[in-house]
Amino acid sequence: MAISLRESVVVGLSDLWIRKVRTVVTVMGIVLGTMSIIVVLSLVKGVNNMTEQWLQERGGATKISVYRNWEYNVTNRERWYFDYKELRLIQSLIPEALYFNPTSNEWRHYRSYYNGNEFWTPVQGIFPDFEKIEEWTVQQGRFINNFDLDAYNDVIVIGTTVKKELFGNENPIGKYIYVMDRKFQVIGVMKHRYMKSRNQMGDENALEYLNQRCFVPLSTVMHKVSNEVYIRAFTVKAKTVSGVTPLKEKLENILLNLRHGHPVFMVESAKDQIDQNSQDTMVFKIIFIMISSISLFVGGIVITNIMLATIQERTREIGIRMATGARRIDIFIQFLVQTVLTTLIGGILGILLGLSILDKVGSFINMDVVVDAHMIVLAVVISAGVGLIFGIAPAIHASNLNPVKALRYE
Amino acid sequence: MQDIVIRTENLQKVYDMGKHKVTALDGVDVEIYKGEFLAIMGPSGSGKSTLMHILGCLDTPTGGNYILEAQEVSKLKKRQLAAVRNQRIGFVFQTFNLLPHLNILKNVELPQMYSGVSPAKRKNRAIEILEQVGLGDRLRHKPSELSGGQRQRVAIARAIVNNPAIILADEPTGNLDTNSGSDILGIFSELHDQGNTIIMVTHDPRVAGKANRIIHIIDGKITNGDIA
Repeated sequence: MAISLRESVVVGLSDLWIRKVRTVVTVMGIVLGTMSIIVVLSLVKGVNNMTEQWLQERGGATKISVYRNWEYNVTNRERWYFDYKELRLIQSLIPEALYFNPTSNEWRHYRSYYNGNEFWTPVQGIFPDFEKIEEWTVQQGRFINNFDLDAYNDVIVIGTTVKKELFGNENPIGKYIYVMDRKFQVIGVMKHRYMKSRNQMGDENALEYLNQRCFVPLSTVMHKVSNEVYIRAFTVKAKTVSGVTPLKEKLENILLNLRHGHPVFMVESAKDQIDQNSQDTMVFKIIFIMISSISLFVGGIVITNIMLATIQERTREIGIRMATGARRIDIFIQFLVQTVLTTLIGGILGILLGLSILDKVGSFINMDVVVDAHMIVLAVVISAGVGLIFGIAPAIHASNLNPVKALRYE
Repeated sequence: MQDIVIRTENLQKVYDMGKHKVTALDGVDVEIYKGEFLAIMGPSGSGKSTLMHILGCLDTPTGGNYILEAQEVSKLKKRQLAAVRNQRIGFVFQTFNLLPHLNILKNVELPQMYSGVSPAKRKNRAIEILEQVGLGDRLRHKPSELSGGQRQRVAIARAIVNNPAIILADEPTGNLDTNSGSDILGIFSELHDQGNTIIMVTHDPRVAGKANRIIHIIDGKITNGDIA
């Protein structure tokens, strides 16, 4: 009959307790190794979550965006923008797209007036699909529809900040505001957008710039306001995530044909960004996992060394145990269990240290770090595994001692 | 005719030191009977410790046979030797060889822990034995808190806890003062009176008074086997 696991655990723990200082020093490598595993996995998870949340806010993974390609220098005869007919043509060439929305530039601000109040606002000409693509619609009134677009209606949908600045508590629906030297009827107020972002000044709304916008039918802007409104970007939404890549390639071909083979425009999908992001964090992950592994490896070697020293110190004890009937397997299990207990203690200390570091780091870099149960389990398993691997050699050494020599050891 | 507990036939132990060989045991034939109290005497380096180690299954002979209770043990595997040490042999050492960080109760429980006796049972057994050697009130003490004589009593308790066939004692009084020494010899006499087989290596002439038989060993050979 062998010494039970329970006995080995009790014997191992009491020995670790007797040599507290040595135990702590011994496990430093394991502490650092498991700590960095926890910290890195949580930070990477946090970054990924944040990116995904951001992309979700920006229209999700099926979104495809077309921009002017700034790396390409256009010649005089090439147009770097789309005219209204071209946009309608492109729309008709991609019936497989779920939504299609070109927008006029969004950085030019116009003065808007209502009843003595004024507010500088970027006015964007859009297609009705805007609300579907951006997954953003009105909280009051209605959004611009296809009838408004075809009829070049002078209607406007305003953001919550615009509404507040121009109308205060007054109901804006049906009222007329002046903007871009024309009179527009307010038909809707967009839903308020909010995403918390933490910084030194406290909490801020990262999406406030959206609440300051106004939207009008693109046709109205292009035909009635100015013929110098240039459309250099539009957005398309594929029906499915798997449809993104074929649709993106088709769009690239259409755009090249429209510009005689010159890459005047570039096409980018949110999926590309997600893939790029997970590639970036993967590299980060791999580098730090390697660093953790080195730390665990060095920690393991230290533990092998200390266990060999411990066994030398306890040679006589091993002899006594053998004389009273301990078999080699009993001695082997006793020391292997003790090594595993040592690394487990290190692992648990590392996890606790990692969690407290994450707490500080998370608030320092304004990020919600994510600690999963499976990261903790992984760290525990890894630290126990290090003990198993690096404890085998000392345990074999101890169990192979000759009882007579061990008893005589001074 | 008494039962034979131990018989050795032409027992040899040669240490290979590389350049030359050292013969520690040179053909030892000995028969030890059940219930006997045998003293082994001899000068240092005579081979008596080697003989003890082989009889105690801590070491294996390089030649000859060792039969313990009708079983040939000189050719057993290490695992089987461990079981023999555990079940059939009780050791008492000159230097006590107690585990210093365990209390004496745990020390006495040790052999039964390795033979797989349940914690409750072996605790009761250890208390019973420690009471028998007069240490029932010191169960939670560490060996360092006891006198030499008390420590040796703990070691004796540990040796007999599994009811072994033989008790081997290697100079059990060697590290003790005269009073404690006779105390310990008294315990061995008691154990002998209860029917235990005791083999003791000693320099102590007082043992002669207690033993049934003394054998002398010189240069790895037994020189006599008189009945005392």
